[in-house]
Amino acid sequence: MTTDIAILGGGDFGWGLAAAATRTGKQVLLWSRRPQREATDSITVTTELERAALAELIIFAIPSIYVTEVAQQLATHIDGSHLLVHISRGIVGENLLSLTQVLRQQTPCRRIGALAGPVVAHALQQGKPSAAIIGSRFPEVQAAVRDALSSENFQVYATDDVLGVELASTVVGLLSLAIGYARHNGLHPSTLAMLVTRGLREASQLGVRLGARAETFHGLAGTGDLFAALAGDDRPELTVGARLAAGAATADAGTEAGTYIEGILGARWIASYLDRINCEMPVLRLMNEVFEGRMGGTEFFTRLMTLDVDGE
Amino acid sequence: MRIKSIVARVLKARPLRVPNLFPRAEQPGDPRIFHFNAERQQVIADVVARVVDRHASSRAHVEYILNDAANSETRRLAGQKDDETAFELDRWRKLSRRIAKLSHAELTEELRKIVDHLASDIAGNFDTRVYRMTQHIVPGVLTGVMNPRALPRDLLQLQWTMLNQRLQAEGDIDKLKRLAQIGTLVLVPTHSSNLDSVALGYTLVREGLPPVVYGAGKNLFSNPVLSFFMHNLGAYRVDRRIRAQVYKDVLKTYSCLMLERGYHSLFFPGGTRSRSGMIERKVKLGLAGTAIEAFARNQVRGTPRPLFFVPVTINYALVLEAETLIADHLKGAGKARYIITDDESSQLDRMLAFTAKLRGLQSACVIRFADPIDPFCNPVDDNGQSLVPGGRTIDPGTYVRRGGVASVDAARDAGYTRELGEYLTAAYHRETVIMWTQLVAHLLYRYFVAETRGRDLFSRQRLRGEVEMPRQQLIEDIAHARNALLGLESEGRVRVDPSLRCETPAGLLETALDAWEGYHSTTVVERVGDRLRIEDPNLLLFYQNRLVPWAEELATDETMAAAREITALAGGV
Repeated sequence: MTTDIAILGGGDFGWGLAAAATRTGKQVLLWSRRPQREATDSITVTTELERAALAELIIFAIPSIYVTEVAQQLATHIDGSHLLVHISRGIVGENLLSLTQVLRQQTPCRRIGALAGPVVAHALQQGKPSAAIIGSRFPEVQAAVRDALSSENFQVYATDDVLGVELASTVVGLLSLAIGYARHNGLHPSTLAMLVTRGLREASQLGVRLGARAETFHGLAGTGDLFAALAGDDRPELTVGARLAAGAATADAGTEAGTYIEGILGARWIASYLDRINCEMPVLRLMNEVFEGRMGGTEFFTRLMTLDVDGE
Repeated sequence: MRIKSIVARVLKARPLRVPNLFPRAEQPGDPRIFHFNAERQQVIADVVARVVDRHASSRAHVEYILNDAANSETRRLAGQKDDETAFELDRWRKLSRRIAKLSHAELTEELRKIVDHLASDIAGNFDTRVYRMTQHIVPGVLTGVMNPRALPRDLLQLQWTMLNQRLQAEGDIDKLKRLAQIGTLVLVPTHSSNLDSVALGYTLVREGLPPVVYGAGKNLFSNPVLSFFMHNLGAYRVDRRIRAQVYKDVLKTYSCLMLERGYHSLFFPGGTRSRSGMIERKVKLGLAGTAIEAFARNQVRGTPRPLFFVPVTINYALVLEAETLIADHLKGAGKARYIITDDESSQLDRMLAFTAKLRGLQSACVIRFADPIDPFCNPVDDNGQSLVPGGRTIDPGTYVRRGGVASVDAARDAGYTRELGEYLTAAYHRETVIMWTQLVAHLLYRYFVAETRGRDLFSRQRLRGEVEMPRQQLIEDIAHARNALLGLESEGRVRVDPSLRCETPAGLLETALDAWEGYHSTTVVERVGDRLRIEDPNLLLFYQNRLVPWAEELATDETMAAAREITALAGGV
């Protein structure tokens, strides 16, 4: 049996993508360290990572904090002909390395991309109409992802601004945590709107500085994804944000733990990068203070409303 | 006068070649270029075939390409308005009128003729006798080419030994020699002076590396002496005035075919000389990008040939054209001239002063060859095998394959080219060799900025002779900044010139002041008792710009604000 596409990660997203791929008639190989669901006619489940090399297109559907490790293990089995795509939010390290940059550093692959946008696991799983954006410098990657995933219920847009897609997606992740947090605190919609608009605006400024394009932040990976969060889809960030606001301990395992750590680390790295380049961006910094537990809800919202504001 | 202009025209149109009655027998291990002349016609024919094939598929498209060429050439030649162009202009105008009436076949034939003409104009020549000769007389050439009308004897004799010692090559030369036997080398250096190709070309000969082919601006070929040498050493002509699409296509195809055939090549990915003195932060690659296509084509053909990019930094203590370049930079990007023809490299007295100055210097130019990589930015081992994370070797051919089949794909290769551009800019930073003049200039300029806070760039640059720095403070700054630089070097983030490493701070200061003094036409810094008066902020800016990426790391708490301003001035890190 041929393998058209390999998906790494047995979480909701991994299975959601696998379902989307089977709808386009693909044979899927799904890798998971501890598989918890059964294989189907068109989805083979494996615990052997090297088998992923059988597919030319490999999609990482694991929390960003595990991407480096899995990429390192996979690296020894793949070569320049493989196309790698990830769907994780998050950036890594002091220099705000995006995950495509991590994949590029850890593996021999160059044809790499990032999938993002207002797409959630269960919508993919059930085939509810939704859309995503694939960012890659390589049209071949864009085409391969479309070919593998897009169907009448799943629209895949494309851009070559891969860094823009990744940064937008990361910051929308942080903002989604903040939305969950703010909602739990009963924040007024107007304040919420200000929080997310300014947050995304800062993100696009940061992105431009790092070499991304501002318009990407106004597309599916940024604004689009943010609308879905505001409309209240079932993304884990909203739950984790609310839990943070309630002062409850976060889950110590599974998707929510990944989301939590991803958010905390992302905000921390962004804040320290802003320090280093001597740059303000108050909303991104305030979110970090909250996630780090150095600032409570009341102070957060007071500070937000007393920012020294000027032209937009 | 008339005869002279006829001679000049003939030489321009048909560079002088020496008939070769006893061609040299082929030796094993010869660089491919030694036998270029035997292949020359075939290369041109291949260029014509490929370009015509690409454009002739539909009548509409050939018509478009011909119209574009006719329009842009008519516009250019009409603007030029000299005798030489009258004939050409007439031809293009006639063609332009006929295009609509011609059949598909006739249009294709017109295109073929044009492409053949362009390709023949571009194609170089290689004469092994000239090559061997240059090994002995490069010093004369170096100076002579710049002004053939007055070749002073002392210049011809002397200064090569001297320059030889001042010109240092760094990097793993032995590995490059091995790789040159295994595959095709593509040298991609930083570009700051018209001397770059000469200095690099000479270094290759001296270090026993094979000669390279490279595109040289047609304006350089208008000098008959330079034209003779360049033409006989494999340089091909690039006329940057021609804007026609088909010309760019011919040029790229020529470059690609030469690489496919295994000719070691040289490209300046930055395009033109750095006007600001800064290290290239964005490279477009242009023709260098054709190396990836050449690699893919050889894969498709089933005759894979390894290809290695070699980033090179060329680092001068004094830059011949510094004054013109920085003046052009300060005019603003919009007004900057793309082709400068009247700079210091065309003035004999400046050349003389430059070479004379080099004599007294410990190190004048460091050419650093960085680690070679495959076309996909992977390092390669001693046998030219591509190394990937984890230390495995892989077949670089996999990067141009899908489902096991190799293909030529311009959109894909554009992605690889961008990656390569990013790799090169990072490599240029790592492998830049900081020269002592640059460090001294940076510290003086930082002080200058600190003393003139709040001014904009232009009003600051106009302050001549108004800021004085205590000599002792500068010496202390040099000591501190040098330590910081050595720290950065130990982290592999930059390189430091050997004499910058060894000399005392006071010695470095004196050497730098002396170096500027004798060479530049304006005084850069004047010694006034125990103070140093800044006289030419423009030249200081030019030399210090090399250090912009590290400005903040070289700063102390007191000087951080000025360092940040310098970084901001340069548009951030």
